[in-house]
Amino acid sequence: MATILETAASVGVFNTLLAAVDAAGLREALESPGPFTVLAPVDDAFAALPPGTVQTLVDNPPQLARILKYHVIAGRHLRNELITQEAWDSLEGAPIAIRSTDPFEVKNATVVTADVECDNGVVHVINRVILPG
Amino acid sequence: MTTTTAPEPTKAPLIPPSTHRYADVIHRLEAGGSMLPDTPENLKQIIGIYKAYAVPMDFYWRDLLYIAEQVFLNPLPAFKYFISKEYLDRPNSYAGDQSQLRIWRGTEKAHPELLEFMDRGETRRMPKLLHHLWHDRVNMEFAEACMQAMLWHQGMGGRFNDYLESDAYKANADRAIKAYFKGNPLMLGLYKLFPEMVLEQVRQLSYYANLGLFWEVMAPVFFEMSDIYDEGGFKGVPDAMDFLVNGIFAVAGRPIYHHVFIDGECFEIIPKSEGFTWLYEAALPYVEAVFYRTSPFRGTKSYNAQAGQVPANQADFHYGILYADVYPVGSAGIPPTLLMQDVLHFLPPYLKEIYKQHRRGEEDELIQLGITFQRSMYNVTSAVIQALRCALLYPLDDTDPKHLQANRAFFEAQMDRFLRPEARLPDIQTQDYR
Repeated sequence: MATILETAASVGVFNTLLAAVDAAGLREALESPGPFTVLAPVDDAFAALPPGTVQTLVDNPPQLARILKYHVIAGRHLRNELITQEAWDSLEGAPIAIRSTDPFEVKNATVVTADVECDNGVVHVINRVILPG
Repeated sequence: MTTTTAPEPTKAPLIPPSTHRYADVIHRLEAGGSMLPDTPENLKQIIGIYKAYAVPMDFYWRDLLYIAEQVFLNPLPAFKYFISKEYLDRPNSYAGDQSQLRIWRGTEKAHPELLEFMDRGETRRMPKLLHHLWHDRVNMEFAEACMQAMLWHQGMGGRFNDYLESDAYKANADRAIKAYFKGNPLMLGLYKLFPEMVLEQVRQLSYYANLGLFWEVMAPVFFEMSDIYDEGGFKGVPDAMDFLVNGIFAVAGRPIYHHVFIDGECFEIIPKSEGFTWLYEAALPYVEAVFYRTSPFRGTKSYNAQAGQVPANQADFHYGILYADVYPVGSAGIPPTLLMQDVLHFLPPYLKEIYKQHRRGEEDELIQLGITFQRSMYNVTSAVIQALRCALLYPLDDTDPKHLQANRAFFEAQMDRFLRPEARLPDIQTQDYR
């Protein structure tokens, strides 16, 4: 099996996310044994944000890291486990609500592909960038 | 009287109409509109007031940062409003050629109308000290009142306030305090005896920095809106609101920090690496503290706390611009009047013309512009509500009824805050509220 980042790189729809991980200096952390549960927004999700949003974050790595950490939960949690709780604490600190089980929705994003298993965790592909609050 | 209605739906709605008292406003928000009706006069009024507000705001943000970073703990800050040339020329991060994200096409230095006013005031050209003593100047006291509202209410989301109580913050502040008072045994002794008192002053200065960094963004946003309007660029109020929504997103990730410069050395009391952002640690707490809550000011109106006229719970405070009765606001020295006075100096001609045509003309210009200001801040609040809906909920054209229902519940919860009788939301629905 590959790591979370290797898996993401092989698919080709996470280019913005991977660039953001590098800009925020989180590559090393996400290459570690973890394990992590990553809610990975596709490129279209970042593109849907108003102009300038991503650039301001990329220019400010600590702020970008904070938003990215909101997409990560400590531990390896598959869909069946995630839906047993109303909310999970993100690495950013704020909770991520599980709003619907069928269709599977985390916060205001829909999970388009769940349970992509990797060496150091699991990836759930989401269609929208989620924000704390 | 001018009223507007929501546009005719082209197909059957996916969810039933709202039964909320402000259903009309909620349906307008759901159609991508603002709490403020879309009329040409409303557009003219709000853009005119944004421009007139942005000029003193250009002074506020510069002086707030000057106080936070340079004046710092000066025990006798008599000259804190005498901003240095360096801070008047300090490049705005969102204007001018040097900016990475240029919002306003204009200059990065202090606005020319501001410089002209600082030079001449309402009276005539005279030394800065005389302008100050005659109170013929920008009313920084208003900016400080906003800062104090943020400091006092606290706990309005974001992590800023929690950080001010952390050991890391205290250690950073301690280094800066000791460096600032180096060679001053009196103040160092005072710090040793009453460390919390001095720390609390530093916390307040961190809020100066917070608000300064917040307004550094808003001034160029408002200037640019005025320029776009002058070119005929906005078709209606929703366009103006959308510009604000996009602006909120574009700068959401801007760092909020507090640096202090002592003898040329920078002390990072709140480093950028803490990850605090413009949206979470400045904009949202600002809107909550200043637009909604603030506190009863000393003026022509008295409140009887024992009769329950002042809420026991700070979260229920409702003395912000969205609830203000502008008419009795007129006493010298109270924050709203200070602001209106500042705005009055920079009104565009088309707004002066509107005021001349209504009510008592120039006689009650301050009241009329206060109500325009109220309209304009309902539009800014609408932008914040739409931005939050966009960030936390679903697109307005979502086809899932559950998602639309979640949006509806969010809009209704926001409108619940205007159910109390003091709210001016019903008033601004008509044009004859002036």
